[in-house]
Amino acid sequence: MFIGKIVKSDSHINYVCQIYGPREVEVEPGPADYAFGRFVRIGLRSEQPDDPHSDLNFALGISHEPKTYAVGVIYDTILLNPAFGSLGPRLSNETQVELFSPDYISEKAVLIYVMVLGIMEQRGKPGGQAEFLATMHGVPLLSLELGSEIETMTDAEVRAFHFFSDQPEPGKRAYLHMGYLPHIIAQRNSLLPMVTLRIIDQLERLFPQNLPLLSIVKRNFAWRLKVETTG
Amino acid sequence: MIDPDTLSRARFRPVGITKGPGETTHEYTFVSRDDEQVLKNGEYVYYELSDPGDAGVSETWEPSQRAFSRRVLGRIIKRVPLQLYPDTFLAEPEISPTEVAAMVGYDARANELFELHVAIMGYYEEATGSFINPWIPPQSGKQIFLADDEMLTRILSRKQATQPGSATIGSLLTRAPGAVPIVLGVKDFVSTHLAIIASTGAGKSYLASVIVEELMQPHNKACILIIDPHGEYGTLDQIANHDGFSENGTGRSTSYRPQVKVYKPDQVKVRISTLTMGDMRHLLPEMTEKQQYLLSRALRKVVETRRGSPWSVADLKAAVRAVSKQKGDEDSEGADDSSTVHALTWRIDQRFVDSFTFDDMQHLDLPEIFKPGQCTVLQLNDIDERDQQVVVATLLRRLNKARMETERGKVHAGEFYLPYPVFVLIEEAHHFAPSGTEVVSTAILKQVLAEGRKFGIGVGLISQRPGKLDGDVLSQCQTQCIMRIVNEIDQKSVAAAIEGVGRDLLDNLPALSKGQVIVAGAAVNTPVICRVRSRVTRHGGESKDAPDMWHKYFGSEAQESRHRSEAPLNGNQGFNLLR
Repeated sequence: MFIGKIVKSDSHINYVCQIYGPREVEVEPGPADYAFGRFVRIGLRSEQPDDPHSDLNFALGISHEPKTYAVGVIYDTILLNPAFGSLGPRLSNETQVELFSPDYISEKAVLIYVMVLGIMEQRGKPGGQAEFLATMHGVPLLSLELGSEIETMTDAEVRAFHFFSDQPEPGKRAYLHMGYLPHIIAQRNSLLPMVTLRIIDQLERLFPQNLPLLSIVKRNFAWRLKVETTG
Repeated sequence: MIDPDTLSRARFRPVGITKGPGETTHEYTFVSRDDEQVLKNGEYVYYELSDPGDAGVSETWEPSQRAFSRRVLGRIIKRVPLQLYPDTFLAEPEISPTEVAAMVGYDARANELFELHVAIMGYYEEATGSFINPWIPPQSGKQIFLADDEMLTRILSRKQATQPGSATIGSLLTRAPGAVPIVLGVKDFVSTHLAIIASTGAGKSYLASVIVEELMQPHNKACILIIDPHGEYGTLDQIANHDGFSENGTGRSTSYRPQVKVYKPDQVKVRISTLTMGDMRHLLPEMTEKQQYLLSRALRKVVETRRGSPWSVADLKAAVRAVSKQKGDEDSEGADDSSTVHALTWRIDQRFVDSFTFDDMQHLDLPEIFKPGQCTVLQLNDIDERDQQVVVATLLRRLNKARMETERGKVHAGEFYLPYPVFVLIEEAHHFAPSGTEVVSTAILKQVLAEGRKFGIGVGLISQRPGKLDGDVLSQCQTQCIMRIVNEIDQKSVAAAIEGVGRDLLDNLPALSKGQVIVAGAAVNTPVICRVRSRVTRHGGESKDAPDMWHKYFGSEAQESRHRSEAPLNGNQGFNLLR
């Protein structure tokens, strides 16, 4: 599900996205769709073919061209209200404003901050399923573009983003990756460690077989976040 | 011709790069990934001096020699990992930290990096057979190579294997068995003495037997005496019949077959006339002043009257009586000596008459027990400890006299003519020169150790309690073979008495396993840790397998035979009861 589009970036990996407001899309995203710590993906345009129908084909599930996405995580939300601060009484009520100056309402917006964690390449298969071709954790080489649409990820996609083998050869064993952890930690943002804990919670649900491995990272983070900062 | 330098460079890849000077003056550090896990503690590495002129190497040397002489050898003494996993990665016992590292995107294959501390030994100078310290640590960034087997074989040991005067006791511990033989210079340890020190069960007598085997080889043909208080060396008699030890005559030399003579405890005799007053005092402890006075005068008298020919217990007793009578004549007012004389003769009787060890006429004939190509084992296991000390003391005294007089040209035949050097191996040496007290054998042992070099008497001391061994005696042994020592007092006394062993090597003492030995001193070029080779002859000093023997006691055969022997004879029951 598409939940918004990129309106600004703070750095090569930090992007600000505006969530679609009322009447912008058919299904308006709810707060659960842009919850803290949720995995999202953004299509990289340069990897797309020039054929104008490709997007449509892809949306219909009939394209078999590989498509590359940047995968990110929502780590902050801001409710934007330009009317905040004008506390005085108004001459026209909200219904009247909506009627007489309809663009005013759209100035209220929800912004989310997304940090890019890596990229993944996938291809639609004739059966309607997706085939995951390659995954990379870390800083993507290409920047995202303004206006690119942000999409929530399904459990299967999140699982595919985290569980793969280093080399594409068939003999190599796939294992759980969290290669983005070092660069999350390197960012200076007070919410990022909390996001890490959220990510680990999600991964624990998706990879019950890797619980001991995840518990090492989780305990480490929890200790540093909860015990060391409080103590 | 190919330059040996380029050849060696092609053959040997560097294992690391010098980082800088180490903690002390003669140490440096280098950094290595050590993918093949070859840089063990105690391993030998080298770097090459940049300019041959630096080391003062003569241009006339062989190219191969020059190549060796430019390599500054050192020994790894410490291995410090530079990259360790954080403690939190080790939280789950069933998850390896490499998995955690892999999960967060770290390629675990190139993980390990070590800083290795090296004690500089120096470059080898073949002419003197010693290592010369360059007095300057290597520059940062120099390549470090692992010393190859061939190089170590040439420079660690004084001699090469099977050369005359060589004793191959085993091979370098850090290398594959047999790859780098450790060869002792027989001349060095025979002239400046040898000490084998280890706790019980570490393989002292095994190593001693290996050394004896080497000395009996055709390339050494040594003359050895083993003082064996536990009767462990009896199995050495297999040497005599072992083909490996004999040599067929070629042209000039005659054929060689080693001899092994084992003297059982009842064959070890000491002639009474070889005893001194000191020995007497030791054998007859707690004599009164008067008894001592009488005995010393009697002893002097009997020695004077017999003029070198042997005398018997009866002669000594007669002399005691004669001396006391003579004394009585001299000062008539003196007390009556008859009770003293009686007590003294009674004690002499009790000690020497019917003694296994002390005999009026028989004793160990020096030319018989000392012969080149012959190993003589004196088993003293049934003999009282005091008597053992006297046996050793009298023997060493006679040996020392014989060698001294032969060397000075005073004798040319007879009992005291011994025209070749000998090697005496003393097991349980702390019995014969204990620390703290002086026993009858201490003085002569010290004398032999101090002067033996001049007269060709080499001594090998074997002890499991260096702490109980006299410090002077231990420090006289210039070659030391130290095996596992757990006791802290013993470790300290070894460290105190022995110079020349790298202190870092001694730190390994408790970590050594059975059959591993640190060899240091005169017989090797540098202290080495060595794996003792396996014996050709069977080992006699094994510990008993007690549970196995108890088990056998209840075996069906053993039970039956016991039943037979214990069964009361038919009709003899009454007799048994009566007894």
